This record gives sequence, structure tokens and C-alpha cells, in this order.
Amino acid sequence: MSTIRIEHITKKFGDNVIIRDFCAEFEDGKFITFLGASGCGKTTMLRMLAGFEKPDSGEIHIGDRLVSGEGVFVPPEKRGIGMVFQSYAVWPHLNVFDNVAYPLKLMKIPNDEIRKRVMETLDIVHIAEYAKRMPSELSGGQQQRVALGRALAAEPNLLLLDEPLSNLDAKLREEMRYEIKEIHKRLKITVVYVTHDQSEAMTMSDVIYVINEGAIEQAGSPVEIYGNPKQGFVSEFLGRINLLSGEACDGKLKLCDTESSMECDARFSGKTMVAIRPDDIYAISEDGRFVQICSK
Amino acid sequence: MLTKQKSEKFTPDVKWLFILGIVAFLLVFQVFPLLYLVFRAFFGEGHFSFDSFKRIYSYPLNWQCLKNTLITSTFTMIFGVCIAIPLAWLVGRTNLHGRRFFRTIFVTTYMVPPYVGAMAWLRLLNPTVGTLNVFLKNLLGLKSMPFNIYSVGGLIWVLTTFYYPYAFITISRAMENMDPSLEESSRISGASPLKTLFNVTLKLMLPSIVAAALLVFVAAASCYGIPSIIGAPGKIYTVTTRIVDYVYVGSKEGLSDATSLAVFLMALAFLILYISEFAVGKRDYITVSGKSVRPATVDLGKWRIPLTILVSIFAFIIVGLPFATVFATSFTVNMGKSIFAKGNFTLKYWGIITSRRTIIKSSLNSVAAAALAATFGIIVCIIMAYLLKRTRARGRQIPDFLITVGSGTPSVVIALALIMTMSGRFGISIYNTMAIMIIAYMIKYMLMGMRTVVSGLSQLSLDLEEAAQICGAGWLRRLKDVLLPLVLPSVVAGWFLIFMPCFYELTMSNLLYSDKTKTLGVELYLYQTYHSQQTAAALAGGILIVVTILNLALYKLTKGKFSI
Amino acid sequence: MKLTKKLCGLFTVGALVLGLGACGGDASGGGKDISVVNSDVSGKVVIYTSMYEDIIENMEKQLEKAFPNVDVEFFQGGSGTIQSKIAAEMDAGKLGCDILMVAEPSYSLELKEAGILHKYDFSDKSKLVFDYDPEGYWYPVRVCNMVLAYNPDKYDKSEVPQSMKAFAEDRTMKGKLSMSNPLTSGTAYSSVVGLLDKYGEDYIKALGEQEVAIESGSVALTKLETGECSEIMVLEESVLKKREEENSTLEVIYPEDGSIPVPSPIMIVDDEYSANANIEAAEAVEEYFLSKEGQKMIVDGWMYAVRTDVEEKPYDGIALTELLKNTIPVDWEKCYRQREEIRTMFEEYVTVQ
Repeated sequence: MSTIRIEHITKKFGDNVIIRDFCAEFEDGKFITFLGASGCGKTTMLRMLAGFEKPDSGEIHIGDRLVSGEGVFVPPEKRGIGMVFQSYAVWPHLNVFDNVAYPLKLMKIPNDEIRKRVMETLDIVHIAEYAKRMPSELSGGQQQRVALGRALAAEPNLLLLDEPLSNLDAKLREEMRYEIKEIHKRLKITVVYVTHDQSEAMTMSDVIYVINEGAIEQAGSPVEIYGNPKQGFVSEFLGRINLLSGEACDGKLKLCDTESSMECDARFSGKTMVAIRPDDIYAISEDGRFVQICSK
Repeated sequence: MLTKQKSEKFTPDVKWLFILGIVAFLLVFQVFPLLYLVFRAFFGEGHFSFDSFKRIYSYPLNWQCLKNTLITSTFTMIFGVCIAIPLAWLVGRTNLHGRRFFRTIFVTTYMVPPYVGAMAWLRLLNPTVGTLNVFLKNLLGLKSMPFNIYSVGGLIWVLTTFYYPYAFITISRAMENMDPSLEESSRISGASPLKTLFNVTLKLMLPSIVAAALLVFVAAASCYGIPSIIGAPGKIYTVTTRIVDYVYVGSKEGLSDATSLAVFLMALAFLILYISEFAVGKRDYITVSGKSVRPATVDLGKWRIPLTILVSIFAFIIVGLPFATVFATSFTVNMGKSIFAKGNFTLKYWGIITSRRTIIKSSLNSVAAAALAATFGIIVCIIMAYLLKRTRARGRQIPDFLITVGSGTPSVVIALALIMTMSGRFGISIYNTMAIMIIAYMIKYMLMGMRTVVSGLSQLSLDLEEAAQICGAGWLRRLKDVLLPLVLPSVVAGWFLIFMPCFYELTMSNLLYSDKTKTLGVELYLYQTYHSQQTAAALAGGILIVVTILNLALYKLTKGKFSI
Repeated sequence: MKLTKKLCGLFTVGALVLGLGACGGDASGGGKDISVVNSDVSGKVVIYTSMYEDIIENMEKQLEKAFPNVDVEFFQGGSGTIQSKIAAEMDAGKLGCDILMVAEPSYSLELKEAGILHKYDFSDKSKLVFDYDPEGYWYPVRVCNMVLAYNPDKYDKSEVPQSMKAFAEDRTMKGKLSMSNPLTSGTAYSSVVGLLDKYGEDYIKALGEQEVAIESGSVALTKLETGECSEIMVLEESVLKKREEENSTLEVIYPEDGSIPVPSPIMIVDDEYSANANIEAAEAVEEYFLSKEGQKMIVDGWMYAVRTDVEEKPYDGIALTELLKNTIPVDWEKCYRQREEIRTMFEEYVTVQ
């Protein structure tokens, strides 16, 4: 049961108000994204959910439990949540297996049970064959999988992800995006995901919170946010976007109402929304060059 | 549910219990004795007065001493750091031949008592019959001796050879821990290796370099052995030799005068710490992050052989010569003759040190006292470094400051302050036990451990610890599972850095030992003072051999991970 | 790698040496018969002393026989160390010892005035040849004799000064002389006071102009051996010890204008301040040290006895009667009263550049 209620949270660093009167309620099992430019307070909000920062006022409930409020503060280690850090934070002195097994060891689970569960988790994040490797022998993407595995191993009801993909190259990023989404679907846990990348927010989220200067500018599904951005900050931050409906099938993505289709990842299928940025639309000039129609 | 929340609210935080415990320890065993002494200097006659200060600081000889201390420590710091940086880089980050060997060699001077080394340099470079002086004079056909050890320059030289290892150990540790991608990105942006070294490597190393400089300065300024042996004959007195002059008068006034003068060294240590904090500011570069990387080695190319030769020559001068002298002394009957003269070679001094019951007993005492001081000391350092680097508590810098001031305080002052306050008058009676020695050692030498752990900790990304916390690990668990293993190389190095000087500590042990707690330093002092330079040399040689073996064993056992 | 092997080799040699040394063993042993046995006193007595460790080791064995029921413990240190230790202990209100055998009589005057000494009437006062406290607070127990020393391997005897006066005034010796620090050593301080009385302030001034190095006795002796110093002012016992134990060729010169014998006192700490409050045993130990028997231990330790009836002389030393024929006297009262002035004067003439 991980419905999350955030009530009137305010956080200051010195005289600097980082989060002001933040209120939100996340439904159990949803994929929530905090989207915003760097310095907007989204990471601070996430860290308050985790318990690394203490709110100055307001309450946070995870499930039925008040974890932060007047006179109550549950430290992170007692909140029972999983988290993936931007820098991976994979422990360099432990091998992959031990990294992932750590939360289970803390729960004093018998060793063979730990073994079984770690191997299952490693399977989920596709690094079972690297179980005995040290982190320094892994690529960035593999290290991030270890971090993800570690966050999932204890089967938390809530998983927090702090810009987990920003250190990866473009191709890996796309792959991991898909996998995180898959894991979310499979484990049906509540995920809170922090990013500044709109396409990540767009493709993964159930609900997006656009955050600016410590406050929620707009909240809603990707289609709502992108299709109907609030005037002012949100529309400026997101830029213009063209939303078309489409359908993916056998590695082809067909845009509805048109005959044209394009290649896409074969793993995707079914009806979808296709977002096209104006600056990604090119025309072919007479001499065969690509010409960008809109610039940013 | 509600009751559970209540109990969570009132759980006392283990972390703060530990931190407060250690702060209390520092207050009782360090701050109180030293404050008491300073208090006495002001309230000597029952009422507040500046008389003792006025008397001390208006005496021209004392000003000369202050000046000498400032000059020698400043130059020792500059030279020490300038020597340590290239050596640390060559040994830590390049493919220099025999890196491992040089790494051991360059810390050797840390493992012998400075006064023994000072005697060796005195034999090599005295202006009348110095072995090296005579050799160079004949070689170069000079009219006079090229060097005079009894000069400010000579004092700086010997201080440098003994205190650069503090910088070398600190800096090379940081060099080896650095994330090479930071350098690689500079290379990729088109910077030459040399430019990268100056623009990236050294800048990233700045906190460690400043910490190293601080250590060298404080150690040189509060050193007594070297200035008393090298400085005194050339009439170069420092604050420490002056303090001992006052203390040995053995009167209450002498003690007040010594304290008044010692306040200068304490203030100096504080000032240096303050300046270094200011210089480094917030620039704590995190170089060990949760992203794991392989350490990279710089290829020296055509410079590999010439640099190896250069480093060898340097090692020979700074370590080979004096240590050969120490060993030669330990085998010589009559030091007026060559060791190779007929009948002048003997093993009897080695016989003495290995057969005398008291020496063996004292060695065991020293091992125990130094090991305990190093262990407790490093625990204090870890917790206080954590307080400094990982909490936002107000006044978190104070323990760091206390530890620095303790180190800057001359040994003799620490020992006397402890005698006055720890022999029952104020409810604590540990005089004539090993405990008082261990506490004295900790006050004097914790700084080495503190700096090492602090720089280890500030290179460690906070994420690594938070990751454990979110996994459900409480504070002690995180300390044990994540923080300690990751700073372990620093912790082990810090432990050794505390252990070594305690192992052969002389001044404080000499005042604090009792029949059952005689230490190696006391023995060494007795032999050094009562006519047996050779026995002292053999003892120092023995210490060096044992410590080197220990260090090598540690290296082998941990497959190169730990050693100093 | 090669170097590592060489290092290993070195250690093997080291280990062998250690082994050999261990086989050598401790061959010394008491062997003397002690006639006095004081089995009626018991308990513990701690003695602070500046005597050599090896002398103490020998004494411990004899004391064990003489006092089978008393546990006699020594704390050994230079007089500076001991005096500062005592100053700190006095501040804390209690000393760590029962008997003091340290430095020179002026320090006893100071302690007597501070009221921490115990009065004891020694049974055989008439035999003592040196000053003692008429009230019985302190007695001389051993004589440390300040003399000159040179190295016949490096210099001819005729080349070096033969008197304390020449030591300070013979300019050919400039920069080649050494003496102990009167600021930290009691015997050196007493000698300076004696010389000051005999020759006036000019003597101290001359020492300064002579650029005499001020350092500890052992460093000075080493420099004498290597030839770095031509002559040193030093305690006779340190040279004699070296001659006997190391067959050293260093030689003592008894200055023509007199050597400076410093009678080091023995004192009992008053009950109120002493570590073990064991006055009875402390008195017995003091009595023993001052007895003929006890004085023989002192002579074995290369120092001179304080009794006329001890005929033995230190190894390579001279007879006590011979020594007493030519000495420079020291005014102990002056030593005590004018300590600050004399120290400062010495500092300004000799210590400062």
C-alpha cells in the first residue's frame, strides 16, 4: 500500500525557499515524474520523500504511515523504500552480488533465500552473468543496473529515482528507459522519478508534475501536459509539440490518419501517442539537403 | 500505529551519542589540562596578571626563537611539499621503475625517531670533520667545507628530510584515489600531460596539498629533537628548545614561562589551520564517487629511465646516506675511526639491545601503548571527521581545531599539564599508568590520523552512504559496511601515522613513565643521553627493521591495498 | 623486484644479528656479599634519580639483597626532566617518589624551603667530606666531578687547554669546544656558578666569545670521539664509563685551576607528599646509600664517594683525597638565590648569537 500524500511541504535552506507549500497525492502503483529545470527543487522534494532532508513544515505520508510531520521524523533507513542515485552510488568495495544483496542482509533473511532473491533481481535488471564482478569492471550502464537491482531487491513499495539516466549515453538511456518502465509494469510499485528530460517524462510517466521554483506548475498525464500546457512557464519550458495518435506493430509505427509509418523498437506494440517536436521536422530541399523547418 | 510513531520520535540517535562521547573525552583529557596550564600562566599568583606573558614576550632572545621557528617551519613546509608532490605523482601515477620500492623508501624517515636521524646528519655534515663534507671537499678540491649543518639552512634541511613524508603520505594517497576521468577529459580537450598536471591534477589535489602543508608545518614547529641537536651548537634556538629550557628549571615560574611561550605554538597551529581552511574553502572535490573507475597510469615515455635515476639519487641522499650512517654507527666501537679499521667493528650493541631484559620489556610496552593510542586515536579521528564532513552541527569544526592545537603544543607541555591535572586532584587519577601515556600520545599525534581520515572522507561521495541508508542501514551499520571499508586505506594509513611516532616517542614518555610502563623512547633517550650513541643507533636500526618488515607484511597480506 | 630481494637479504642478516645477540645473554651478576640485611623494613620505596641506568641496574640487585622485603623502584631521568616532573607533581599536591637523588644542593635548598623534605639524622655524619644540611634534610650521596676531556687519537695533550681558565680563553680553540647546558643540567649550572665566583663575569663572557657549543654530554662525547670537538667540559664519570666499558681512549684532564666536584644530594620526601608514606623504609634506604657499603656502589658507578673512609676509587679515576686537593668551590646558597640572574647572564653571553 503505497499511496503517498504530501501535504503543505515547505523547505528552506537558510533564507532560500527551495520548496513552497507542496501538496500532492500519488496513487498506488503509478509512475510519477517530477519534471523541471535544474535547481527547481525537484531533487530536494525527492530527498524529503526519502528522508534525507527534513521538511520545515508540512506532512508526508507513505501508505498509512506518517513519516514526516510535526514532531515526527522517520529516518530514511526506516522508511523501507528503494532509491537509485544519479551517480549510481554503487559501492566500489563490494561485487555486484553483494551490492544487490545488501538490503536483504540488513533484513536478516537467511542466506539461501538471499541468494535466490538476488539472482532473481539480477535477472530482472539483466546482469545475472556479472554477479561476481566488481563495479569497476562494469560499464556505466551496467553499474546503473546494479544500482537499480539494489533498490529493487528488498521489494519496496516505493521506488525513487533521481535522474538515473543522465550519466548514460543516448542509446543506453533509451534502453534503460524502456527497462525501468517494464520493471514498473511488472512489479506494480509506486515510482517517483526525477528528471529534467521531457522525453523521459513523456515516455515513462503516468503523472507528470512540472515543478518550477519549488512549486507545482502543472500536474497531469503526459498527454494533458504536452497537449495542453498551461500558459507561461510550462508551455515555455516544454516548447511547442505536435501530438499525433499512432499504432505500433511489428517494429513499425504507423501514424493514424496518415499512410506514413516509421521504424520503431520491435518491443513496442499497441496504440500510442507520438510526440513530434517542431525542430525535429526536416524538409528536403531541391538539392537533396535536409533543412530544419523550425529552430528552437 | 500511533505509539510506534511516538517511539520513533524519542529514540536517541546513536550517532550523536558517539559524537558527544568523543567530544566529552576531548574536553576532559585534552582541553581541560591544557586550559588549566594556560590558566595558571595568567593566574600564577592568585590573581589575573599578564606579567608572565610580558616577561616572556619582551625578552629579545625569545623573539629570536619565535623568528627561527617561523622561518624554519615555513621553509620546511615549502620544501617538504615541493618534494612530496612530484614524488607522490611519480610513485603513484606513473610507470616509474620500482614504484613500489620507492614508495616504501620515501616513508622510511617517518619510521625512525628524528633525533637519531639528526645525529646521523650531524656526523655527515658537521663543518669540522663531517664525513660527507670531507668527501666533497676532497672530491671538488675545495678550500673549506662545503656545508655547515649548524645553520638555519642545515636545520631546515634536516627538518625537511624528516617531515616531508607527512606530505608525501597525504598527497600520494589522494593522487592514487583520484578519478582519472577528470584528467582524461582535460587531455581530450587538448591539454598536454604537463598542462593537465598543473591545471587539473594539482587543482583537484589542492585540499590534500594544503592538509599536507599544515601537517609539515605543525610537525616542524613543534619538533624538539632536531633543533636541540642541530640548532643548539649553532646557537639557533627555537620556541621548543626554549620551552624546554624554561621547563627544566623545575620551578613554578619556569612552568608558567614555558606555558606562556607554548601559547605561541598553539596559536600558530590554530592560525595555520584557519588559513588552510580558508584557502581550501568549500572546494572539497569528490574524487571517489559511486561511479567506479579503474586507476590510470601515465606513461613517462623516454623520461622513464632518467626520472628513475633522478629519484634513485634523491632516495640515496635523503634516506640512504643517513640510514647507512645510523647502521654504521651501530657497528662501530670507536666513532673516531673508520668502521673498517682493525677491531673497530662490533656486534655488541646489537647484542645489548636484543638481550637486555628492560629493552625487550620496554619494546612490548611501546607496542602496546602505541597500538592502543593509534586505535583509540583513529576511532576519535573517524568519528570527528564524520562530524566535520557529514553533519551540519554548529561548531563541528571545533574538535578538528582541538586536535590541531594539541599537535601544535610541545610534548613537554602536554606531559606536564597531564601530570598536574590527572594525578587525582580533579578526581581523575591515572598518573603512573599506561593510560596517561596513551592519552598524551593521542593529544600529540592524532592530527596525522585526523587529516588522513578527513581527506579520505571528503573524497567520498555522500551518495554511497545514503544508498546504504535507504537500504535500511542505521548509522553504525553504514559506518561499518560502507564508510569504513571505503576509507579503510586512509584509516590504516592514519593508524600507522599515529602509531609510529608514539612507538618511539621520547619527551612525554620520559616524564610520564613509571617502573612498569617504561617505553622504547625512554630507553632510546637513556642510551642517546648516557654515552651510548651506538646502542641508540642499534635500537633505532632495530626499530626501522621491525617496522619495515611489518609494513611489507601488511602490503603482502592485503595484496597491496594497505601500507604506508 | 631485485631491490626487494636485496631488502629481504638485509632482513635475514638483521634477524641473524638479533639471534646472535640473544645468544650472547646477560653475563653480569652481583656476586658481592652484602653484610647489612634490613629485613625489618618493608613496603615500597620509589626513588627519582639522574644516575645512569646501568648503575641503577647494578644497585637494584644489591638493594634487593640488602632489603629483601622492600620493593625499591627507580625512575631515571635527567635532572631537568625530574625537576620539571616534581614541579608538576607539587602542583598536583603529591609527589610520585619517596626518595630523591638528583642534581645539586641548591635544588635541595629549594625543596627544603618548600617544606616537602623529611628530616633524618644520619648516624655517621662525621665521615662525610662534603657539605650537608645541619638539620638533616639532605646529605650528599655521590660526587659528580666536572672536568675537561680530550681525544688523544686526534690531538696531543699539549695542544689542548689544561685549565678551566684556558678553556674559555685559549682562542686557538674557538668553535671546537662543547659543554653541557647550565639551563637544563644541574651539574653544569653549579660549575658555571663556581667559575663565576672564581673568575667573575668575564669568564662567562669569554665562553661566549669562544663559541662554545651548548649540548648534552653524550653528543659532546661523540663529537670528541669523531674529532669535531677538541676539548669538552664534561662530567668525569661519563668519560670513565666509556673507558671501562668501551675501551675508549678519551682522556680526562684534571684542570690545573681545579675540577668542580658537585656533591649530589639524597633527600627523603615528607610523609605528607611522598608516594608511599613509607618513611621507615626510606630512612633505612638512605642510611644504606650513605653507608660504606652503599658508597661502594657509587664508586662502581664511576662517581666519587662522599666518605673519607671509602678507599676504592672509580675505574681510571683518582683517589678522593687527591681530588679534594684541587677544586673550585661552589656557593650553594648563591646557586639557589641568584639562579634567575645567573641563568639570564649565561644566556645573554653564551646562548645568544
